[in-house]
Amino acid sequence: MAEPPDDSPPPASPAVAAADDALPQPRIVRARRWNVSLVWLVPAVAIAIAASMLVRSVFLTGPRIEIEFKSADGVEAGKTEVRYKEVVIGKVVGVALRDDRERVVVIVQLDQSAARFAVEDTTFWVVKPRIGTGGVSGLGTLLSGAYIGTDAGVSTRSRSEFVGLEQPPLVLRGEPGSIYVLRATDLGSLDVGSPVFYRRTQVGRVVGYTLDADRDELTLKVFIEAPYPKLVTTNSRFWNASGIDLTLNAGGLSVNTQTLVSILAGGVAFETPPDGTRATPAPENSVFPLFNDRRSALAPPDGSALPVRMSFDQSVRGLVPGAAIDLLGVEIGRVRTVALDYDAKRKRFPVEVVADIFPMRLGPVRSALLRDVHGAGDTAVLQQLVANGLRAQLRTGNLLTGQLYVALDFIPGPTRTATIDDDGSVRMPTAPGTLSELQPQIAEIVQKVSKIPFDDIGRDLRSTLASASKAINQLSPEAQKALAEVQRTLQRTQATLESLERNVADPSAPVQRNLEEALLELQRTSRALRLLSDYLQQHPEALLRGKPADAPVPQR
Amino acid sequence: MSERDADTGLPRVLGCESCGLVSQAATIDERGFLQQCPRCGQVLRETKPFALQRTWACVVAAAVLYVPANALPVMVTTSAFQHDEHTLLGGIHELWLDGSWSLAAIVFIASIAVPMLKIGALGLLAWTVRHRPRWRRLERARLYRLVETVGHWSMLDVYVVVLLAATVRFGPLASVGAGLGLISFTAVVVLTMFATWSFDPRLIWRDAPADGRAA
Repeated sequence: MAEPPDDSPPPASPAVAAADDALPQPRIVRARRWNVSLVWLVPAVAIAIAASMLVRSVFLTGPRIEIEFKSADGVEAGKTEVRYKEVVIGKVVGVALRDDRERVVVIVQLDQSAARFAVEDTTFWVVKPRIGTGGVSGLGTLLSGAYIGTDAGVSTRSRSEFVGLEQPPLVLRGEPGSIYVLRATDLGSLDVGSPVFYRRTQVGRVVGYTLDADRDELTLKVFIEAPYPKLVTTNSRFWNASGIDLTLNAGGLSVNTQTLVSILAGGVAFETPPDGTRATPAPENSVFPLFNDRRSALAPPDGSALPVRMSFDQSVRGLVPGAAIDLLGVEIGRVRTVALDYDAKRKRFPVEVVADIFPMRLGPVRSALLRDVHGAGDTAVLQQLVANGLRAQLRTGNLLTGQLYVALDFIPGPTRTATIDDDGSVRMPTAPGTLSELQPQIAEIVQKVSKIPFDDIGRDLRSTLASASKAINQLSPEAQKALAEVQRTLQRTQATLESLERNVADPSAPVQRNLEEALLELQRTSRALRLLSDYLQQHPEALLRGKPADAPVPQR
Repeated sequence: MSERDADTGLPRVLGCESCGLVSQAATIDERGFLQQCPRCGQVLRETKPFALQRTWACVVAAAVLYVPANALPVMVTTSAFQHDEHTLLGGIHELWLDGSWSLAAIVFIASIAVPMLKIGALGLLAWTVRHRPRWRRLERARLYRLVETVGHWSMLDVYVVVLLAATVRFGPLASVGAGLGLISFTAVVVLTMFATWSFDPRLIWRDAPADGRAA
């Protein structure tokens, strides 16, 4: 450290000048050679370092691009990052409104290494935290805020202005796999990102869905990751695997679920029925129906429906569209509509039920039946069955809820034929339901019951009771007297009984003792009598002679 | 051997910086020789060797590095999901926006103003020695003393960042690191200190009369 220049140089001092000649002389020694120019290495190195730093930072800065979004929700200048596969490739440096104030322009400074992202077919979207199906995604953004996701383009034409996507793209470019289309009537708890399972293993995800307003149907797109698309065959069945499938049957209670995630968040599962040995892998974008559960998905296909009309002369309360059409316990169809009709001749309101019967559900029986009518078709089969006595009947499916179903059964009765309506539906003859037969009988009973003159009976009963109560009232003073008498008598009786017990029942009572003595006396008497009779038997003469004097004992 | 100064007429003497002995200055015509203190052996010089060259070199190097020190990030903070780089001016700006004006002022003075002032002052001192030797000698001497005193305080930022980098180490959650700017900034501060040290204030007073005020 330099010493502070606190004064002018020493030669200026007069005191030193005075002692001029007395001063000692310095030694003269050889100096080491110093290269003067060496010191200039310092700024040279500094320049080199600074230049390299600046050049590096300049080269690290890649192109600056502009991305247009509908809203800059969550995007912050200087904070929001641009990431590709979770690697930061740039940063938002500015957010501005378009001149027309309709859209937002996000200015992004890309890193030099990400310069190749500024090409035509690169897409950008804003990633926000999503707690959705199949887990929580973008959890990092909860703390760091949203970031801009990127899907790298492959084009070679560079570009600096982009239009950002409002939704993340379904599938990233180059992600191996295939997309299939599912048609569903209900989305259930499915959402974008819901897992797709095959044998309870996740093999893909739902990547999007749209509500097709024209077809009134939902179109889901699922992405099956490679190499699993080969599992999707033309025979594959997809079903909504959300929730828990509880089945209670004769075999007990069985619970069928997919993974826990799908219980909570929903999912799609698919399977190929085992009979599909000749199944070929389905091409990409094949359309499959999405069934509600596994059972209906794996059930044999229903085929075309045969419409049937039935007219019931009874209340159909409990019969709803969708109720089963049941043939001897096998569900072969569904009720489509239930509507009132008016029969002008009879002045009645029969209920017209239109139902769909799926002949395919009969299985192998159907082909036998078709052979029976020489291949004239399902309608002919049905007509023949009706001719043989098949009738539709309403039956109670559930006693608690009163749900009805339509049973097709052979019911004895007059032969009738099934006519065919203009629209091709078969008019099925009906039989009154078991419950509806019961109803008139019950009504009759009720009528009879109502004929009983409950009023008169009641009146008579009341007068009788009134007179009875009067008689009791009159009777009462004497009755009270009599009661008092009875009470006294009872008291006396009790006293008597007590003395009786004292005198008789007690073992030490005199009666007892006397009786005992009398009995002993009686015993002795009887013994004496016996002795007498014995003696008389041996010595009857004693009656006349009297008893001889006793012989001396040693006489024998 | 006795010599007298051409301007003042006083004898030319040399003070030993080590032991304080004053000795008669000798005239060495031949290059490659030095004068040594007869008592302690310390090399005696009228001025520091190559003072101006060294000062100039350090000032230029500091000035050059001053650019990346301000342009590049000084501190790199990495939190769980955020990677932030802070430049000096950016940090001051943030402090100012947060309402910590006093803190912003302190950081500005310590990190921006003082190094700049030092570079400017040393440049001025070095330039005036050669080109305006008689101009305001007393003020220049005071300026030098000021530069020397203030010199160390610019290391404030460096200390802060180094302390943070050493203490904030929470693995993936948060960490603080030094940026390239900090290295440049440290180099600037160190180079200005070297420049101050290598500059010889005696150069200001070369050929000056004994009374500083009259110079």
